[in-house]
Amino acid sequence: MGFMNNDNLAISFKNVSKSYPLFYQKTLKEFFQALFTQKKTIEKVEALKNINLSIKKGETVGVIGKNGAGKSTFLKLIAGVSYPTSGKVNVYGKVVPLIELGAGFHPELSGKENIFLNGVILGMEERYLVEKFSEIVSFSEIPMDFIFTPVKYYSSGMFMRLAFSVAVFSKPEILLVDEILAVGDIAFQKKCLDKMNEFKKQKVTIVFVSHNMEQVKNFCEKVIYLKEGKVEYQGEVEEGIRRYLKNNF
Amino acid sequence: MYWALIKKLTLREIKARYKQSFLGFFWIVLNPFFQMVIMSFVFSKILKMSDLGVPYPLFIYAGLLPWLFMVNSLQSAMNVFISDSSLIKKIYFPREILVLSTLLAKTFDFFLSFLIFILMMIVFKVPFTFFMFFFFLIFLIEFLFVYSLALILSSFNLYYRDVQYLFNLVITLWFYLTPVIYAVEFFPEKYRIIFQLNPMAVFINAYRQVLLGGDFPKWSSLGIAILLSLFLFFIAKKIFEKLEKNFADVV
Repeated sequence: MGFMNNDNLAISFKNVSKSYPLFYQKTLKEFFQALFTQKKTIEKVEALKNINLSIKKGETVGVIGKNGAGKSTFLKLIAGVSYPTSGKVNVYGKVVPLIELGAGFHPELSGKENIFLNGVILGMEERYLVEKFSEIVSFSEIPMDFIFTPVKYYSSGMFMRLAFSVAVFSKPEILLVDEILAVGDIAFQKKCLDKMNEFKKQKVTIVFVSHNMEQVKNFCEKVIYLKEGKVEYQGEVEEGIRRYLKNNF
Repeated sequence: MYWALIKKLTLREIKARYKQSFLGFFWIVLNPFFQMVIMSFVFSKILKMSDLGVPYPLFIYAGLLPWLFMVNSLQSAMNVFISDSSLIKKIYFPREILVLSTLLAKTFDFFLSFLIFILMMIVFKVPFTFFMFFFFLIFLIEFLFVYSLALILSSFNLYYRDVQYLFNLVITLWFYLTPVIYAVEFFPEKYRIIFQLNPMAVFINAYRQVLLGGDFPKWSSLGIAILLSLFLFFIAKKIFEKLEKNFADVV
């Protein structure tokens, strides 16, 4: 192939490996002990091994694999919060992670203040947030009088709903989803799923990590099966799931 | 494009503290004020310090406020990555924004407390002079100095939590080597070199000169402090750039 057409590419991994230090000495005491016992300061654990893959714009890709297979590391590298030990990760477009919802929420601040805080953290402009404020609130189904209460008084369901609602209004180009559809009650889960399908129609690239094979089957067009830090299979959803289930049950 | 984020995070710091306690903003001002009252009482009434030419409460306050700005800033900044670990693991933005916002929130405290200082100047009938405007210049340099230290300490503290305990020890020693409660003139000439190499001493002396002395700051000392701060900033940037890539992995 003479040239690479990057226009349709959303994410590409080239020979990507990532290893974590198994432990850092968290205290100086441990550090000095390590010095004298000549214990290795850092032991490494390889979370991802030589990953090569690419995800096209507008694709919905399911990522499956056992716990510890490297799924979270995979998402962190795409989100740009963690860096590969070797190789190259390229991401084209604005990434919005629907992971650990409500990170950056401050318990003492009101729902409204947190909408603006979290919105700006997710890269939205204040003007846009002002404009969308009532839509965000009504999507979250949180009663208006609760919006001015500190979020520490929210139920965990309300908290998650609010966090989710802010995130879905952030105009993502690449959406990272980690077991998100467990938010709220069945009615709200349905709404989330509808929203995700809407994103899908708008050609948002979605990377969907899940242990729920039914959801992956219904929602994704492609699957990446990670096993012990390596890509065991990528391609057809049915085939990927079949191999994963065969390997584990 | 990150200004909005800096603004929001700074406001988060300020608002959250305000909401947490009944007296809110007053604590920010009352705490240094009462520290000053206690120190003034101990040193002027009990230990009978010699006359400084300016009212002792003002003298102490002019040193205490910049000192507390440094200590409070560093103490908060050191824990900012730990308390916002979920944010760091989740979404990308330049990490120094968290440190910067912490310092800006403390700057707000500093200026709020400084209003009390202005009131006290009126009460003690200390004349206002145009030299007072140098206050902002001196603060700018102090900010750069503290910001550089904050970058280094906050990233080290992620790797070794001992840093914060060590810091508390160092601060105690540093306090006595800095003319907060005493004047440089109390020391024999040959020892005064330590005050020139200690940027906090330089800043505090400079604040006193422009606010209470009605004079220019001592440019030679301030010049050394500027160079030291710039040099430290350069080093801090390098260290931070190297370490921040691993923040999400070690936090």
